[in-house]
Amino acid sequence: MARRRAVATVLTMAAALTLSVACGTTSENSGQNQQAGGPSEKCEGPDGEYTIGMSQANRAEPYRERMDDDIRAAAEDVPQFTVEFADAQQDNAKQVSDVENFLTRQIDVLIISPNEATPLTSVVAKAYNRGIPVIVLDRKVDGDAYTTWIGADNVEIGRTAGEYVAKTLLPNGGKVGELRGLAGSTPAKERGDGFRQGIEGSGVEIVASADGDWLRDKGQSQADAMFKANPDIQVVYSHNDPMAEGAYLAAKAAGKEKSMKFIGIDGLPIPSGGLKAVEQGRLSATLIYPTAGKEAVEAAEKILIDCAEVPKEQTLDTQLITADNAATVYNEANS
Amino acid sequence: MSLSTQDTETKAGRRDVVASLFRFQSLFGLVAVFLVAVIFSPRHDGELLFLNSDNLFNVVRAVSEIGIMAVGMTFVILVGGIDLSVGAVLGLAAVGSAVLMVESDFGVAAAVVIVLVIGVVFGFLQGVASAVFGIQAFIVTLAGMQVARGLARMWSGGQGVPIAYGDGPGQAPVTFSLLGERTFNGLVPIPALIFAVVAVVAIVFLRTSAFSRHVYAIGGNEKAARLSGVPVTRVKVIVFCIAGGLAALAGIVHAGQLNQGSPNDGFGYELDAIAAVVIGGTSLMGGHGTVTGTVAGALLLGVLNNLLGLHGVDPNVQLLVKGLVIVVAAGLQRLRPTT
Repeated sequence: MARRRAVATVLTMAAALTLSVACGTTSENSGQNQQAGGPSEKCEGPDGEYTIGMSQANRAEPYRERMDDDIRAAAEDVPQFTVEFADAQQDNAKQVSDVENFLTRQIDVLIISPNEATPLTSVVAKAYNRGIPVIVLDRKVDGDAYTTWIGADNVEIGRTAGEYVAKTLLPNGGKVGELRGLAGSTPAKERGDGFRQGIEGSGVEIVASADGDWLRDKGQSQADAMFKANPDIQVVYSHNDPMAEGAYLAAKAAGKEKSMKFIGIDGLPIPSGGLKAVEQGRLSATLIYPTAGKEAVEAAEKILIDCAEVPKEQTLDTQLITADNAATVYNEANS
Repeated sequence: MSLSTQDTETKAGRRDVVASLFRFQSLFGLVAVFLVAVIFSPRHDGELLFLNSDNLFNVVRAVSEIGIMAVGMTFVILVGGIDLSVGAVLGLAAVGSAVLMVESDFGVAAAVVIVLVIGVVFGFLQGVASAVFGIQAFIVTLAGMQVARGLARMWSGGQGVPIAYGDGPGQAPVTFSLLGERTFNGLVPIPALIFAVVAVVAIVFLRTSAFSRHVYAIGGNEKAARLSGVPVTRVKVIVFCIAGGLAALAGIVHAGQLNQGSPNDGFGYELDAIAAVVIGGTSLMGGHGTVTGTVAGALLLGVLNNLLGLHGVDPNVQLLVKGLVIVVAAGLQRLRPTT
């Protein structure tokens, strides 16, 4: 009996607590900002010292590792900057904690490449509403509670790839196999949609489409099956370079790598990246998907050192890479 | 004669002291890690950043989902079982919360109740498979993990379902967004409060109810418990229901905190929940352990993560440290005097 009462008391207390909680909350998620217009209050000019917090979604992809490297390299040229890096390892909840830790450490500017848009929106808004300038890279967050977004247009990149195939590789029409990124991810959808816009009205048609999940080995096995079912495929359009390399290997195993063409996206200026693959002739072309790392540090300089404003959105241009310019662009990126 | 009695009495007394030291092993561990965190805390203008009240509540918020799941896991482990499905059930519940409110236009209360029922039923089925049909809990819940992930993928169409708030169709009621908020002047995160309530209820329940005596009896010696009239099968099924229900609750909290239900949510969380239970001093053989210990274990993990995060330590190193702590905690168990 006494026990029952004890349990009942606890439950009542719990209910009361929950109710009192429900009444006392305030909304923090919206993007009412104190920053719009005028320079950031964090700006102390060239005499200040600033800590940049860089929250990366994951470092397992070469593209994101390169983004961190670009930020590190660009920040080394600015004596007022030190950069702290965090790696969320593809976990939204971890990335929220990473940003909270940055806030505790009182960073002066937040650069974030979100793992996913919606789950990161409220913690980004929290930083922004505390007066910390927020530079969002690659993937966006919802709403407008950030200082600037820098990234590339995946639809535009896909369209450029499609036009290249329609005008240069298959001017008289032909058959294309598509290796898609991870199903359900935004870039996979946009790169696929853009390509279809690019080939519209030409004689080029997509005869097969398979999910390679961004991975080289998955791309290889999918291409293998694709070539068996459709031996007349002339061009493989891959949503990233590693899958295009996988398709090249599959074609090589079937002895037809010479008669086929492969194009990818990303064009990372690293030894294992797409630029080298084009230079060495495995891929016919790749399209650069800029990491925006350098541009992010430039934006931070404008905000903190020049006390200037930056545009809300900066879309970076892509560049078509063929055997003609692959080596030059690689050397420029690593100079 | 009298000398030897005295001798055994002092020995027994000493053993009591040692035993109670071990009983509160996880609390001592938590205090020790807390002190380490204070000593090694990064500073900013002389302020210890770790002790910043915002930061301390961040710690509790960050472990609240793991903590809620670990409380349920404690019950299962106390009867000598294990539940590997809780992380996947969290994902299923997060997806369920999002889909029910955003796509099926359910209210908050209805969605929460349905999701909790799904969690409990999932636990019930696993409990039946394990306790009635005698399949090992490890295997049953390993299978359950796959099933829950599969269901979550099917229900969500394979991708995260974002939760937008408002009154219109395709929007969740604003009340649900409270789970991502803080109360008491924006200080105390709601998920931390929910964790606290779950923990207090479980502690009181485990201290006082007849059911809890059955739990400990089964974990101590299942045969003896059965022979002395403990409804073993029923108790085992119920603990799986508790674990499933609490995993679903953690999933609701997860969806509310991140404003999204994704079928990949909660990946690997079951291991953190088990770690919290083990660090908390509960024996994986069953029969020994407390929810207080589990709460201390979860907080200990949270403080560790926070300290390493504040120093910007590579997350891969954080995994190593976490592994070491688990081994040390489990090693200490072996030194524990058997009573």
